[in-house]
Amino acid sequence: MSSVFYERFERHAHGEGLKGHSTHYCPGCGHGLIHKYLGEAIDELGVQDRTVAISPVGCAVFMYYYLDVGNSQAAHGRAPAVAVGHKMANPEAIVVSYQGDGDLAAIGLAEIIQATQLGLPMTFIFVNNAIYGMTGGQLAPTTLMEQRTTTSPTGRNRLMGEPIKMAETIGQLDGPVYVERCALFDNKQRTRAKKAIKKALQLQVEKRGLAFVEILSECPTHLKLTPNEAEQWVKENMVPVFPLGVKKDEETEPWFEMSKPKFDAESVVEVIGSSSEPAHRFGKGFPSHIKEKDVSIKFAGAGGDGAQTIALLTTRTAINEGFDSTHIPSYGPESRGGTSYADVHIATQEVLSPASPEPHILVAFNPPSLEKFGPDVQPGGIVIYDSSVIPNPPELDPSIKMVGVPCAQIASDLGKVMVKNVVALGAMQAATELFPKESFLSTMREALKDQCALLALNEQAFEWGGKAYEEATNGAGA
Amino acid sequence: MASTKTKDRPKPFLFPEFCKACGRCISSCPKHCIAMGTEINPATGYTPVVLDLEVCNGCGLCLSACPEPYGLMATPTEVDFEPLDPEMLFGARKTAAPTPVTIPDERVPLPELEPMILKGNHASAVGALLAGCRHFFGYPITPSTEGAELLARLLPQLDGVFLQAVSEVATVNMMYGCGGAGRRCMTFTSSPGFSLMLEGISYMIGAEIPGVFFNVMRGGPGLGNIGPEQGDIKLACRGLGHGNTHAPVLAPSTPQEMLDLTMVAFDLAFEYRNPVVLVSDGFLGQMTGRVRLPSYMVKPGLPDWAVYGDEMHRGNLHTSILLIEPDLEAHNVHLNEKYDRLTQNEQRAELFRCDDADWVIVACNTPARMAEGAIQVLRDRGIKVGLFRPITLWPFPIDALLPVIERASGLIMVEAGAGQLEDELRLAASHAGIAAMPPIDRLRHFGGVLPQQHEIVEKITALAGE
Repeated sequence: MSSVFYERFERHAHGEGLKGHSTHYCPGCGHGLIHKYLGEAIDELGVQDRTVAISPVGCAVFMYYYLDVGNSQAAHGRAPAVAVGHKMANPEAIVVSYQGDGDLAAIGLAEIIQATQLGLPMTFIFVNNAIYGMTGGQLAPTTLMEQRTTTSPTGRNRLMGEPIKMAETIGQLDGPVYVERCALFDNKQRTRAKKAIKKALQLQVEKRGLAFVEILSECPTHLKLTPNEAEQWVKENMVPVFPLGVKKDEETEPWFEMSKPKFDAESVVEVIGSSSEPAHRFGKGFPSHIKEKDVSIKFAGAGGDGAQTIALLTTRTAINEGFDSTHIPSYGPESRGGTSYADVHIATQEVLSPASPEPHILVAFNPPSLEKFGPDVQPGGIVIYDSSVIPNPPELDPSIKMVGVPCAQIASDLGKVMVKNVVALGAMQAATELFPKESFLSTMREALKDQCALLALNEQAFEWGGKAYEEATNGAGA
Repeated sequence: MASTKTKDRPKPFLFPEFCKACGRCISSCPKHCIAMGTEINPATGYTPVVLDLEVCNGCGLCLSACPEPYGLMATPTEVDFEPLDPEMLFGARKTAAPTPVTIPDERVPLPELEPMILKGNHASAVGALLAGCRHFFGYPITPSTEGAELLARLLPQLDGVFLQAVSEVATVNMMYGCGGAGRRCMTFTSSPGFSLMLEGISYMIGAEIPGVFFNVMRGGPGLGNIGPEQGDIKLACRGLGHGNTHAPVLAPSTPQEMLDLTMVAFDLAFEYRNPVVLVSDGFLGQMTGRVRLPSYMVKPGLPDWAVYGDEMHRGNLHTSILLIEPDLEAHNVHLNEKYDRLTQNEQRAELFRCDDADWVIVACNTPARMAEGAIQVLRDRGIKVGLFRPITLWPFPIDALLPVIERASGLIMVEAGAGQLEDELRLAASHAGIAAMPPIDRLRHFGGVLPQQHEIVEKITALAGE
């Protein structure tokens, strides 16, 4: 008698009377045997304290009545996911996921495949009795062809699909190291099953790998057979469909080690990338020449134009200058090729609404963007547009300052059309004097600190944008 | 084994009342020592097997064939062979599971840090790390992915775990396991994914397992779109799976709150042993802003109820099945008491310029920020407008609303959804026994369209002019 069983099954009807020492299983059911072999293996390997057993939904839902280990009862089909959660929470825990055929091979297929493919040292026990027990004898994914159940009253036929062979399915995955199918119908099979369960647990204890043991089991009640007849039925009918034996058995070295998570402030501060160093401020104050307390900007173009990047650079620059700022992107359904516009706010205190439906500044990269958002720009506002793709800008309110800069052309001359957004940013800085040039450049250097090769080009693009603005305005004035 | 003499090997022993007469042992015995009995045991109604051990050589095969833990057993050597209490007969336990003791959480001070510039979803991820979360499980879904992506990068640097599950269904069940082990874990998801998690959340509530769910709500129903919506307030407040379920629902409205409330969520989850839901909209998740860091971070302990997989916690169990009806009723009474405590202690709201407000906007998430912008414009025009912003959507902060509605001429619900926040307000007001509500008007958009500032301005200007 394994001491892994509770002294009294308190959780079974409060442990009163016979239920304090009997299982809830029907006479001849295979679950009791499998529990027993599992309990013995846990005992023999000395891992009772570390074991977490996951009870499934199905007849074994109450496995936790019996095994004196950490117990977690899972939703239908999800025992493998719950088991993974436990193993990740404590890699030293010995986690056993226990499931029947409906649980594992029907509703829980995705979970068992992922969990076994993960390949962590864990133990999976699959009890296949070819029928749903708990719900009253319905068709299981492993019900045999022509087998009668309450939902295949004239026998399983082709329209109900074929029985699924889980040991073979799991055996061909790369995750597990050991997969075997056993049975319980005679002494020899029981000895094998017991050995297989112990081995499956040992591989976990030794941190070698994941093991999956399928056990053909008897359900005399729903097969409507005596326990002895049920043993014969499994032997004669199930074994030909579900051949017994080892499906996979790889030699492995112990490998599984996970470090304990870090909780020291130094590591956390470093990892989240925060700093005690205040950013340098270049500006003299809030750009109130544009608006007293809250400046609203919109950047608009096609996906890939880089509107988001310069919008974010603007937000960062504003926050570095000590103000509150927000950036919200809006993309079309596809990441590239669709519309892409960004709203930025800069506020003295706190940004209230982050949207820019009526911006003070608009940066437009293509004709549709300018046509769509141009009319919403506030009177007295500024519009910067890429004149290399927008030769004929629409007529807007005369109080609006229109600045055409050939961003794409300049970027292309610099050798990389991608930087046209930075050209536009340079032009915007020059046109609006939102913040000093150095302030934007400093943010840009910070953003590109891991891509130094790109920095020079971007700085050049920014400079050229500013110059192009000067030329454009001088030209316009001339 | 070869050296063990036959006479030394223990022979089987059976308490008849623990035999279910399956007969597996009969065919297992090579010496034919066991036969089906003929007498019905009055305690069980079964006819237990009978043993005739004269030729028994103690091979033990019958012991391995008996499915009952207290069925056929090896004869104890040191006990007088009388039918004693099995608890005495089979000796004392090798070890008894100890009484678990909670290891408390610690607050670790942080140095003074400059504000960070973070996207909303990233701010929440940073909040999770500061709250002591080192386990993330999730399934990618737009527009919530950035949070997960950041944690996929940062968690391994802290020797934490990032695991991309096979689905949202697997995700929530991994959280059931990890949270059940007493660890702080979370997920990011969006509406369709949140729907899939609801079953598991019901199980977590039933088993009293904490976990933090961040739902960046998007347009629905069905696949809908990836625009910002507030269509899951109903699910989060009233529909957390089957059964009698509730969880605190927190609604941030700035990147700063994305961080702060994520930290609050973990504290609530563990204080109340319950999942906690954060809801934001896609707009807020994508919004970049200035985020100040707290003065501390959390180093989590380990609660006494954890199923951790060690000696201390061996006696613990997580389950949500209680077959005996009065047991399940008692469990629900216990849950209701928890919900009552949450309702009494955890209501949170922000009141913006409500003191003298004739008109009060009620909104949360991004619509609340649109409303703040509108209030500025309306105040400039001399219309006294305020904002009541529920931060906990459940429990609805009705206590803070009461003084506001006493003086307001009207409430204006501004929602990116079909009135789910309004339903929460009306339900809370009704439960609070408020007889006379001011008139409630509304501005709603759906499908990823947000109520705009100018619409709010127009709506309230029209109302105030009447």
